[in-house]
Amino acid sequence: MQLSLITALALLVLTAVGFLAGRSRALALAEKDGSRLHSLPGYHGYYVALWAGLPGFAVLAAYALAGTMIVNTIVLDRMERAAEPLQARYELALANDDIWSEAEREIARLDDEMAALRGEAEQVIAAEGVQSDAVEALRARQDELQFAQDDARFTRDARANTIAGDIIQAVPEAGDHALARAGFEFARLPVQEREVFLADARALAFGDGLASRDTPELRATAGALQPVHSAIAWGACLGALGLALAGLAFARTHLAVRFRARNRVEWVISATLALASLIAILTTLGIVFSLLFESLRFFAAIDWRVADFLFGTQWSPQTAIRPGQIGQSGSFGAVPLFAGTALITLIAMMVAAPVGLFAAIYLSEYADSRVRAWAKPALEILAGVPTVVYGFFALLTVGPLLRDFALFLGYEDAVTQSALSAGLVMGVMIIPFVSSLSDDVINAVPQSLRDGAYAMGATKSETIRHVVFPAALPGIVGALLLAVSRAVGETMIVVMAAGQAANLTANPLESVTTITVQIVTLLTGDQEFNSPKTLSAFALGLVLFVLTLILNIIALRVVQSYREKYD
Amino acid sequence: MGAIALAIAFLGVLLGTIVLQASGAFTNYVLTLPVTLEREIADPRGDMSEASLRRGSYNQLIQRSLQSEFPAASSRADLRELFGLYSGLNAASVMHRVIADPSLVGSTIDVTMPANHEIDLYLKGVTVEESITAGSGTIQAGAISGDITLSSDSPAFANAIARIRQQASSERDALLGRAARLEADAAGAASRDAREAGLAAARRAREEAARFDTVIDPETRITLGPRTASLLIRLNGGVVAVSALTPDGREAEGRVLLPLESAEASASWSEWVIETPAAARRITDQQAVYARALEERGMVERRFNTNLFLNADSREPELAGVMGAFIGSVLTMLVTMLLAVPIGVGTAIYLEEFAPKNRLTGFIEVNINNLAAVPSIVFGLLGLAVFINTFGMPRSAPLVGGFVLALMTLPTVIISSRAALRAVPPSIREAALGIGASRTQAVFQHVLPLAMPGILTGSIIGLAQALGETAPLLMIGMVAFVADAPSLGLSGLTQPSTVMPVQVFLWSGASERAFEMRTAAAILVLLTLMIIFNAAAIILRRRFERRW
Amino acid sequence: MADSAAPAHTAKTVYHSVANTHPVKVAASGVEVFYADKQALHGINLDIQDRSVTAFIGPSGCGKSTFLRCINRMNDTIDTARVAGSIRIDDEEINDRAVDPVLLRARVGMVFQKPNPFPKSIYDNVAYGPRIHGLASGKDELDAIVETSLKKAGLWDEVADRLDQPGNSLSGGQQQRLVIARAIAVNPEVILMDEPCSALDPIATARIEELIDELRENYCLIIVTHSMAQAARVSQMTAFFHLGHLVEYGPTEEIFTNPRDRRTQDYITGRFG
Ligand SMILES: Nc1ncnc2c1ncn2[C@@H]1O[C@H](COP(=O)(O)OP(=O)(O)O)[C@@H](O)[C@H]1O
Ligand SMILES: [Mg+2]
Repeated sequence: MQLSLITALALLVLTAVGFLAGRSRALALAEKDGSRLHSLPGYHGYYVALWAGLPGFAVLAAYALAGTMIVNTIVLDRMERAAEPLQARYELALANDDIWSEAEREIARLDDEMAALRGEAEQVIAAEGVQSDAVEALRARQDELQFAQDDARFTRDARANTIAGDIIQAVPEAGDHALARAGFEFARLPVQEREVFLADARALAFGDGLASRDTPELRATAGALQPVHSAIAWGACLGALGLALAGLAFARTHLAVRFRARNRVEWVISATLALASLIAILTTLGIVFSLLFESLRFFAAIDWRVADFLFGTQWSPQTAIRPGQIGQSGSFGAVPLFAGTALITLIAMMVAAPVGLFAAIYLSEYADSRVRAWAKPALEILAGVPTVVYGFFALLTVGPLLRDFALFLGYEDAVTQSALSAGLVMGVMIIPFVSSLSDDVINAVPQSLRDGAYAMGATKSETIRHVVFPAALPGIVGALLLAVSRAVGETMIVVMAAGQAANLTANPLESVTTITVQIVTLLTGDQEFNSPKTLSAFALGLVLFVLTLILNIIALRVVQSYREKYD
Repeated sequence: MGAIALAIAFLGVLLGTIVLQASGAFTNYVLTLPVTLEREIADPRGDMSEASLRRGSYNQLIQRSLQSEFPAASSRADLRELFGLYSGLNAASVMHRVIADPSLVGSTIDVTMPANHEIDLYLKGVTVEESITAGSGTIQAGAISGDITLSSDSPAFANAIARIRQQASSERDALLGRAARLEADAAGAASRDAREAGLAAARRAREEAARFDTVIDPETRITLGPRTASLLIRLNGGVVAVSALTPDGREAEGRVLLPLESAEASASWSEWVIETPAAARRITDQQAVYARALEERGMVERRFNTNLFLNADSREPELAGVMGAFIGSVLTMLVTMLLAVPIGVGTAIYLEEFAPKNRLTGFIEVNINNLAAVPSIVFGLLGLAVFINTFGMPRSAPLVGGFVLALMTLPTVIISSRAALRAVPPSIREAALGIGASRTQAVFQHVLPLAMPGILTGSIIGLAQALGETAPLLMIGMVAFVADAPSLGLSGLTQPSTVMPVQVFLWSGASERAFEMRTAAAILVLLTLMIIFNAAAIILRRRFERRW
Repeated sequence: MADSAAPAHTAKTVYHSVANTHPVKVAASGVEVFYADKQALHGINLDIQDRSVTAFIGPSGCGKSTFLRCINRMNDTIDTARVAGSIRIDDEEINDRAVDPVLLRARVGMVFQKPNPFPKSIYDNVAYGPRIHGLASGKDELDAIVETSLKKAGLWDEVADRLDQPGNSLSGGQQQRLVIARAIAVNPEVILMDEPCSALDPIATARIEELIDELRENYCLIIVTHSMAQAARVSQMTAFFHLGHLVEYGPTEEIFTNPRDRRTQDYITGRFG
């Protein structure tokens, strides 16, 4: 770190030197030649500075990104090679060991048996349904087999450990052997512990962070890491500086009175700007591909029963404990979530559409400038309030209020977290969105249309109802679609106020859950990344993305064609 | 018109309730104790080294000090209630003081610490209803401590009995009313199940109501329990908790919670009724007595709650503060700003001033418009899949949070910057190009400076949105409980941390009642920040509003 | 429009004989301009003399501005525009790839229809060109350039004491002269003016016309104008454009007194346009 920091500073200095050198050389050239430079001397300076700075910093950035990985790869490779004899001896010992081989065969046999059982189960399920006693029996049998297999695994691993221990014992601790032992140990570590091993070794080698253990193997790895690390670090830093110097010298020879330094520098600037604009595309690609990729993994994990996901009515992602467990993978039916989302969106739009529209009509057609002057900022504040705040309000004020009111009316099952409270508050959140979009749309209706109506003797409200509103309708529809998309994607209010229960209900006083709530629930807290439970969040994300994208595209189209009509 | 009024009324209600809820959090009750730093406890190894001082058990010292205030408290139960007045976590601050100044060891220092949140709420009168009325008649205590009998020649406790009976009968009536309504409903119920359920609920209500019968019956002894109000008698400088009363109101049995100074008969006594039944509150009669006693001795007082602003998060509400989240927000917003503004403005400049109008740029444009409307949580999924799982960046880190929010803010910055650039009249560009400025010079020397106020306004509004954003940060693990504020520097960027809105979310889900008002207070802090951001945007817009 | 049916390729330009008092500064041949698929100019051949004022006249939309913008390659800045043909300034092909349009524009100044000073001080407006082209090596030199440019543009006396005030605080006529000073400051050889007076009142217009006449001493001036009277007053040569064609070109006097093409005649007598 120190080294690269110093190099970065040196590069900065070289860049500055490049600038000065380029500029003074340009001035000198102009003096000698007696004619005007094509580009201002400053541009010659920038040109040289770019040549000095860019390659060097690129090397340094590459090192910062990939340096650690390269060092690790080299050292691990070395460890693996050192451990090869040990590894060979170990494998031979395993193959010759009866207990181990027996356990291995047992595992394979149980695997086959379970596969057969699953096949049988499919038939039974197809014939008698998931709830039947036969399935229960099969499930019990599967658990038994699984248990036996876990047992066999334990035997096998314990045996392997003993054998590995024996082999390690036979190797002296010192010198090159330590590295071999380290390689052997590393190869036997499960993946997640390998990272810890490496982190510990790095901590011992470079003192960044605290090592959780300190063993001869770790010491040996650390010892191997150090020289490789410093070689690569020095290589990268000297390389960067060398490139900078070479670039500086190279660029300086370019300079001439007619040299178009400005054009070169400007090319770099516009290339940088073009690169910046690619980030937006990359973001979209990133979203699409990460969602698609993880969703595919999810669908693979549930055996490609995409229809069950999209049309199933049972959502309980927690219950599928093991992949392939009989009759338990049908619990990813997302219909309750879609229904909950739709219910809350509907309630929200029932609040936001009329209020937002009337507010917009009032603001654009009736309000005088004094009212506008304070109403607009108030709406802007409403739009700027973070959604957690709305969520808090829904949870602590609106929810209890609605529950008490329902209880008062004699509805006994009222709960605090209900679709109604989340929907109402979300509706309020969307009001400013609807009103400002509709305001724009209504303002875009040409004055000439209104004048025409007034000229025919229509009153103000008649004009609005019969002329302005119909003319603005497509735009308003677009605005409402955008608002729906907003409501569908809103997260915090529903997370806090709608509850988690995947009820399939149309009763607004019950708890429901939505797509976004489930994404949050599935991805917060402890999670292993590869379980279908976690992956299902990405499938939900994909649904959400596609849904909002379609809404947006339609809405933007509608609004756009509407704009074009009046522009 | 109504719609506007409705929207604004809602805004008013929203802000009003939050301010109201938050108001309690800005002050808290603190406990100040003289703590003697006994050598062998503060410095167990006896060498005054820092390592030794760190091993000192400072909580024990605080406990001793508190115990010396109430020498009568000796049973384990008493002590547990006594030590429940504060959180043991406060010992850490004593330790830091001692480590900073080891010469304190051996002396007596004043230790000020927040009272336990339940005590705080009780003293603020939020959770518990109580009243104190002067007693009439003369009463005599049988002893000054332990289980005692209070007796009087007049029906001194008649008032109290009347009140208890009244409360009991009103509760019984409410239960009976409920039972009757349930039965009526059940009679008209649609299904058998519903009728059964209704009748069962009614039966339960009637059973519960029957329990009040003995209290109401004028002939039987009245016993007070966790489901009734508590009756405490203050007499001769002590407090007695009454557990039973004779129906004639002349005799009461009870336990001494605070020792009496003497067992003499006295006419100056008072009834202290804690109306909230013990079962419905989180502090015991004993703790209430301790708290009031300390308050009378001037050791508990209400102060401005500095913990709320200076501390990071804590499991104990009285110690929890927004500082950690605030620093997390600052770091995250720095990353967001440094990425989103240059990239966004660069994109806007490229698209508006440089890019040829072709398929590709058309696609980028559509793409940006759609990106602007992608739900924020999707950006969180992107961050989780790409930054954390693919690139192996740390979870919960402001760096990753900043990345995600930057991507989310980017479309806003681009769209507003493009609008600002478009608002610069083309004649300015022509003028510059006409005298031989290059496109780049025209843009950077003329157009950009003129568009700057608009760009800044848009960027600030985008950043304000990012500041209030919660959902995407939940995806990348910024919901972790973080008891240490991240350091304000480069290294803080990869330390686990949280941000203001997520802190609000975390606290709003906490079970302690005291977190409720702190959540509201955190919201106020967050809203203040947002208002500062937006005001900056508005001022910029006003200042530089320009007509060409 | 009587002649709109005339096929493009048969349209021949009428050239009047010209007394070659000055060398040719700008020589255009076969210039065609397309906006996307729409052709705006058809095969323009035109020689423009140095140290004189050439006026482009014609009904609006006929391509005058388009042609003017070819001379300093301002059309490059329009995405959809495509220019073909040759334009030579001092025998140097300006459409050559090797020519940097940015430097060309320093040699060929341009004044637009609406005065467009930068929203900066008067001084900075004039000094901007010399700065970006590195014409002055110090503050004194720059001051001198600003002063002479403003003097040449006849604005010095009016603004000498308030050079630090914003350029757009001046009156319209003053702004237009400021813009001319700004163009002069980079030592152009040719100055293009696209209807420079159309946004000005008659007095300011007269002032500009006077200025144009003075500038003729040192520069090659090309001016697009809608006003026939103005063309007659300030120009020595006149080119008449119609529907993207150069219809007639010759000494101003002859064009106005003795137009040979029907369309020129109709336009000058005010029958259309
Ligand atoms: N930027 C442009 N894009 C497309 N067409 C243009 C553009 N500028 C001018 N035109 C078209 O080219 C023709 C000539 O325009 P112009 O040269 O401005 O005419 P004039 O200056 O003689 O009034 C007109 O038909 C006009 O519509
Ligand atoms: Mg024109």
